[in-house]
Amino acid sequence: MTDQLGALTTIFTEFYYWITVVLMFLIHVGFCMYEVGASRYKHHQHTLMKNTMLIPLVTVTWFFFGWWIYWAFPTGPGIAPSIMTESTGLILGGGFGANELANPMDPIMAINLNDHINGVFWAAFLLFSWTAASIVSGAIIERITVFAFGILAIAIGSVFWTIDAAWGWHFDGWMLKVLGYHDAYASGVIHAIAGGFALGVLAVLGPRIGKFSSSGEPRNIGPRNPWLVCIGLFLIYTGFWGFYAACNIPIFDLGPEYGMEGVTFFTATNIYVTPTTLSGITMTFLLSLSGGLLSGYWVSKGDPFWTYSGGLAGIITASAGNDLYHPLQSLIIAGIGTYIAYKMHYWVERRFKIDDAVGAVAVHGYAGVVGLVICGFVLWGYPSSGYDGLGYAAINPIGMIIGAVIMFGVLGFVPGWILAKILHGAGKLRIPREVELAGLDYNIMEAANKDEKAVASSNR
Amino acid sequence: MATVTSWVEHLSADEVAGAVYPFIGTEWLWLTIAVVFWLWFHVATGAGEAEEQQKLARKRPGSNDYKKNITDW
Repeated sequence: MTDQLGALTTIFTEFYYWITVVLMFLIHVGFCMYEVGASRYKHHQHTLMKNTMLIPLVTVTWFFFGWWIYWAFPTGPGIAPSIMTESTGLILGGGFGANELANPMDPIMAINLNDHINGVFWAAFLLFSWTAASIVSGAIIERITVFAFGILAIAIGSVFWTIDAAWGWHFDGWMLKVLGYHDAYASGVIHAIAGGFALGVLAVLGPRIGKFSSSGEPRNIGPRNPWLVCIGLFLIYTGFWGFYAACNIPIFDLGPEYGMEGVTFFTATNIYVTPTTLSGITMTFLLSLSGGLLSGYWVSKGDPFWTYSGGLAGIITASAGNDLYHPLQSLIIAGIGTYIAYKMHYWVERRFKIDDAVGAVAVHGYAGVVGLVICGFVLWGYPSSGYDGLGYAAINPIGMIIGAVIMFGVLGFVPGWILAKILHGAGKLRIPREVELAGLDYNIMEAANKDEKAVASSNR
Repeated sequence: MATVTSWVEHLSADEVAGAVYPFIGTEWLWLTIAVVFWLWFHVATGAGEAEEQQKLARKRPGSNDYKKNITDW
């Protein structure tokens, strides 16, 4: 930073990502409120602690190896050649075979006077990791051990989602080159994978006691505090503004980046370094939220829980292509995805006896998958990258369907199911039946009651 | 040991060193301690959780017994 304009651009970018991190923090606040509101009174405090503790667990492991994985595996390895060359300054080979900036012992992973971006970019990705783990957390409330959830949160938050991000959410990712994969605001790389992972865990974990009658009919265990759930979902919406902004690069001169001699074109870009605008995605975001809310209200016959969840499902469905869609396309796509997610939730619940306590698999998993598939058709033929001539496939339906299978199934459902099986085999997955019936907070509540009685009977 | 003892000298060098945290070169040690702490946390809290739940399971409270423990606001 030796000239004022360069310094301003750098400091602006640093501050931009910092703001996105603060906004995305609200997603986690929202998830905590949402989960506690959805849980029953006797499980409240443990439910809150389970979700809260994913913050430090995913953060430290993201520092140890999560960020490293993102920079280590864009090429597969070995599936498609890297375009990272000396000219980009991002050569593979530093720091254990990944990039130096991902090595937890490298001086760039700290306050560094020569770098203003790595830390905030690391943090923005970390907040995506929290989101992925938090999605899983909601589905499995009231019967999983905190120990098991900690392992699963690290697996989805610091390992599997970051592998899919390296493959399909990186300008050098092999899924762009081979499949023409496009997922600007993470329908697949965050939501579909987390939904698939949650479904894999749920298949092993089993339903809450009493969820299904002896004849197999599902019973509704609705949110115990609808107000907390509503405020939580509003906060998640708010945090999504930060999520969308964090998926962009705020200012980039694409002329020299694409090798166009004499061309200067400053713009915001998505994560793939293809152009979009913050202004435009503000419209697509709001119209997809609206499409989801309208569809959710209609299909659930005005149920508040599903109307709010529908707003979220709408955003998630349209997110894959919201960098390029017309806002009215976002509206329609969001409505379709929300309708399918709602219907799928109840079909899967009834058919496979899956007890997804907050509808996370539907809102994130099914809506994410639908969003990827629709994106493949609507953006068919668009370039998946601006680096022409370097072997990138164009966006296409087949590539996006395969991408959806990779996200939801290969990197989501399968690892979730395997890890849950291992934890179940070790007797560490599910809390004892007696504890589930009594309530996870029984001991805390009993102690609080004794304290209260002692205080009430005191006269000095 | 301080990495920087004079900001004027540090910032006027031909090539300004980016890293300014203390004990540069010992990152491996901090990383090792942090990884051990992280793994210990899982073992310790996992064991504590299991013990607490076994104890509660042996008491076998009913599914509505928690209601008698609800405190005032």
